Amino acid sequence: MSVEFRDVVKRYGNATAVAGVSFTVEAGTLVTLLGPSGCGKTTTLRLIAGLELPSEGRILIAGRDVTNLSATQRDVSMVFQSYALFPHMSVLENVCYGLLRSGIAKAEAAARARDGLKQVGLDGFEARQPSELSGGQQQRVAVARALVLKPSVLLFDEPLSNLDARLRRQMREEIRELQRSLGLTVVYVTHDQQEAMAVSDRIIVMNAGLIEQQGGPRDLYERPATPFLARFMGESTPARGAVRRLDAARVRVRLGEAEIDVADQHAADGDATVAVRPEAITVEPAPGPTGALAGKVAKASYLGTHMEYSITTAAGTLFATCPRVERPLAPGAAVALVLAPRGVIVVGR
Amino acid sequence: MTMSRPALAWSVAGLLAAVTLPWYALQEGLDSGVWLTGLWSSDDYASALGQVAALGRWWLAPVLLALLACVAISLPPLPRERRGTLLLWASGIGLGLLIAQALGIGLRGWTTNWLTALFGELEARQFGIGAGAAVILIALLSLLSIGLALRGAFGGDAFVAGAVTTVAASIVLFTAWPILRILLQAFQDGDGAFMPALLIDRLSTEKIWSLRCLAGGGRCGVAWNTLFLAIACGAGTTALGLAFALIVTRTSFAYKKTLRVLTVLPIITPPFVIGLALILVFGRSGLVNQFLEWSIGVPPTRWIYGFQGVFLAQLFAFTPVAFLVLIGVVEGVSPTLEEASQTLRADRWATFSTVSLPLMRPGLANAFLVGFIESIADFGNPIVLGGDYGVLSTEIYFAVVGAQLDYGRAAALALLLLAFALGAFFLQRRIVGTRSYATISGKGDSGLPSPLPDRARRAAQWVALPWAAITLLLYGFAFVGGLVKVWGRDYTPTLEHYAKAFAVETTADGVIWSGAAWNSFWTTVKLAAIAAPLTAALGLLAAWLLVRQRFAGRSTLEFATMLSFAVPGTVIGVAYVFAFNVPPLEITGTALIIVLCFIFRNMPVGVRAGMAAMSQIDRSLDEASLTLRGRAPQTLMFVVLPLLRPAIVGALVYGFVRAVTTVSAVVFLVTAEYELATTYIILRVINGDYGLAIAYSCALIVLMLAVILLIQLAVGERRLGRRAPQAQGGRA
Repeated sequence: MSVEFRDVVKRYGNATAVAGVSFTVEAGTLVTLLGPSGCGKTTTLRLIAGLELPSEGRILIAGRDVTNLSATQRDVSMVFQSYALFPHMSVLENVCYGLLRSGIAKAEAAARARDGLKQVGLDGFEARQPSELSGGQQQRVAVARALVLKPSVLLFDEPLSNLDARLRRQMREEIRELQRSLGLTVVYVTHDQQEAMAVSDRIIVMNAGLIEQQGGPRDLYERPATPFLARFMGESTPARGAVRRLDAARVRVRLGEAEIDVADQHAADGDATVAVRPEAITVEPAPGPTGALAGKVAKASYLGTHMEYSITTAAGTLFATCPRVERPLAPGAAVALVLAPRGVIVVGR
Repeated sequence: MTMSRPALAWSVAGLLAAVTLPWYALQEGLDSGVWLTGLWSSDDYASALGQVAALGRWWLAPVLLALLACVAISLPPLPRERRGTLLLWASGIGLGLLIAQALGIGLRGWTTNWLTALFGELEARQFGIGAGAAVILIALLSLLSIGLALRGAFGGDAFVAGAVTTVAASIVLFTAWPILRILLQAFQDGDGAFMPALLIDRLSTEKIWSLRCLAGGGRCGVAWNTLFLAIACGAGTTALGLAFALIVTRTSFAYKKTLRVLTVLPIITPPFVIGLALILVFGRSGLVNQFLEWSIGVPPTRWIYGFQGVFLAQLFAFTPVAFLVLIGVVEGVSPTLEEASQTLRADRWATFSTVSLPLMRPGLANAFLVGFIESIADFGNPIVLGGDYGVLSTEIYFAVVGAQLDYGRAAALALLLLAFALGAFFLQRRIVGTRSYATISGKGDSGLPSPLPDRARRAAQWVALPWAAITLLLYGFAFVGGLVKVWGRDYTPTLEHYAKAFAVETTADGVIWSGAAWNSFWTTVKLAAIAAPLTAALGLLAAWLLVRQRFAGRSTLEFATMLSFAVPGTVIGVAYVFAFNVPPLEITGTALIIVLCFIFRNMPVGVRAGMAAMSQIDRSLDEASLTLRGRAPQTLMFVVLPLLRPAIVGALVYGFVRAVTTVSAVVFLVTAEYELATTYIILRVINGDYGLAIAYSCALIVLMLAVILLIQLAVGERRLGRRAPQAQGGRA
């Protein structure tokens, strides 16, 4: 079911955690609230759950006004960062908990809980205590516990932050898989932009209690609206350059001696800060083709799948990745940088 | 949007009570049934409807109208907020007018002159409120809570709203109101005229503030005496309590179980037993003096009477309370953090002093506060052992019962005591602040509590074990004291004291409980058994609200729960008599007033223990339950309470034991019909009948031991899923 925020504000005394936020989460999609810590994303999630009630504004779930309903009265479940498994109950009792509270008979609840555990690949663990499970298993129990209630909206509060990297990728794929196959509406909070891009249909980026920008992962990555977003979504290095408008849809960006024509509708003529994505830079040994940016390798690291270079240029020090690991360039080597237009973004003055 | 069922249910319940239950309290009691025929038109027995319609008591009509309005508001489909606002107005006005008429019209018409001037003379008289009025009051309070919750207050949860209203209303009624009544006395002269300057007169005497004892010679004022004693007692009990808690939870000491029972012993003792035992050992004709006189010819001294005697007795009496508070705190420190510290190059001592102890700091501050307040509120020990060392509570007692009979002075001194309690309370908040160290988290915990470092273990054992030995010795003497004819003169063994108290005869007519103690014994057991679960329930509910809910007035409520604890029993007792012997709440001389006194005197310890334990349970566990369709009461029942078992045991035990052992508060409330064990024993002591007093006290101790074991068995231990030490390495 859909979730809608209309001008929601949440204040704690004098501090404002959410400063007027409006958005809609379409039914059956996974939307991520992304932002640095303290940006208000977790408060927003708790407002959806009903664990906090807004100071101003309205909240609608499935078209129904739930603004002043408590958590229990909303058809919403949540997976907590700490998992919040009840330490005095077995795995099965944990998963049964919500079903029993909904008034479902014991036998039926146990059967549905077993199904839920099977869904997350944990059959056979019913009698264990939470303390006897690994982190990933605890996470799955928490997901199963929320899932068996078939909630209108499922909420995840940084669910992967306590897991190691490999498990994190596996778990996020499993969560996405479950969401797609069951057609769930999911709101997901994270501070990790890669995680957000990997799982989301749409991403809402928050900063200082406000929405900075929202859209699909591709929109946000390729067309960040603010310098904050360009820094926060994916890697980029800021460079100094000059902009000249060619027509309504295109500008010519000048970085050192290089000139690149970039799709852009807003930038004004003159000096500008330009974000350059590392993967948009092709590193050639000097002298490269005409129109390339000359530079010198400052640092080089070998990462197996690719090389990482820091390169000093007339437009500033740029960070570049290069898939050609077979003939790496040593620090001090003169290079020419070819810049692909999709990775050159004008972000401000 | 459709009708609101809980609101409708409460409105209808209120209306039913307004029709079928008598409004005023009955002389005969509700179970007599005499009122059934008089519900419509009898002056004494009529219901609210009858009072208004048949007897012309028009001032009760707004209450009925408010209930009718609530029915009307509950039925039609209305938006939540609109319904909430309307309910709030209807029930609020109803409540306001209900209280106004109860306070405004008393036994002789209008209670104040300006009301008479305004409305003219009133012929009618009002007695205390009865069953009907009580039910309607509760219904209106519930409707008020529902209205607040509908408007989004208290997280939109009607249960939380109702719980806050219940706790707040009962504290206002049974703590704040009586104290207010007695404090008004501080500003009034003997005839009841209002004279603010009197308070300053009463408080600025040499007897209160003198500091001559520091300058050598002379005595200090009672205010300083009280403070010195309380600080010493708070620090001493906290240190001893911590030592015991550490030995029991963090060492492999072989007799832990014994130690646990031993430290509970002083709690279950009526306060004057320790005093009596200390006198048997150190008094003029006590063992120590007799031995010294016999061996080296030192004449007997009165060394025990004074600061040192009271301090010793209070240490014995209150260390176990600190122990109860601290054992939960020590158990709650997460082993993972200690293990983390040890992997960070900290040895056991560094871990203990830089990680474990700081984590316990909120708990330590709590324990100190409890010791401090227990000490300033203590009455039994200073009166038995104080001698010339007067403290505020005894001073108040003498002002009330002594030849002076000066209620105003007593009230002024009570104000001073309150100020001390307030000071301690705010100091504690400043130091601990709102910091909480959540150490029982929702993440499956692993790790084992690390054993104490040797230095700390040795220190704890050096302190705690001799203390335990002395305690044992004292109890031994007290026990023997009940088995000899006359202590100090005739040590012939005898059972006659027990026979006198607890004789049971079998005759042709059946069993006759002919012992002198049986009557007060059964009354005590009955009233304490009623009060203990109510005390624990109210205390833990309040703790849960204070720790877990955010609402306006939270810190006011927290302070209010502490208030009755800070007021010495003597004052509370007088205040209860004073506030509740006139309408609207006329319950003096009943068992109800004793039970209420028990509950509101002892609840604060339940609140503190509950808060200490609850602030160590991760908040997200509650929230998980709420998002899993567990309503607030279910969350409390299935998640919070099972994790709170040690605190429940503590609160139940404390509620029962304090009800049995309390003296000062109830000495004003008992009647011939409802005589309590402690007041009976005190009478025996005053008559010099030490043998019977000690025998009775021993019987009480046995009773309370049995009850504690029963409660432990019934509530059980908390299952936390932490591995037991033997299972170490069991998980590959």
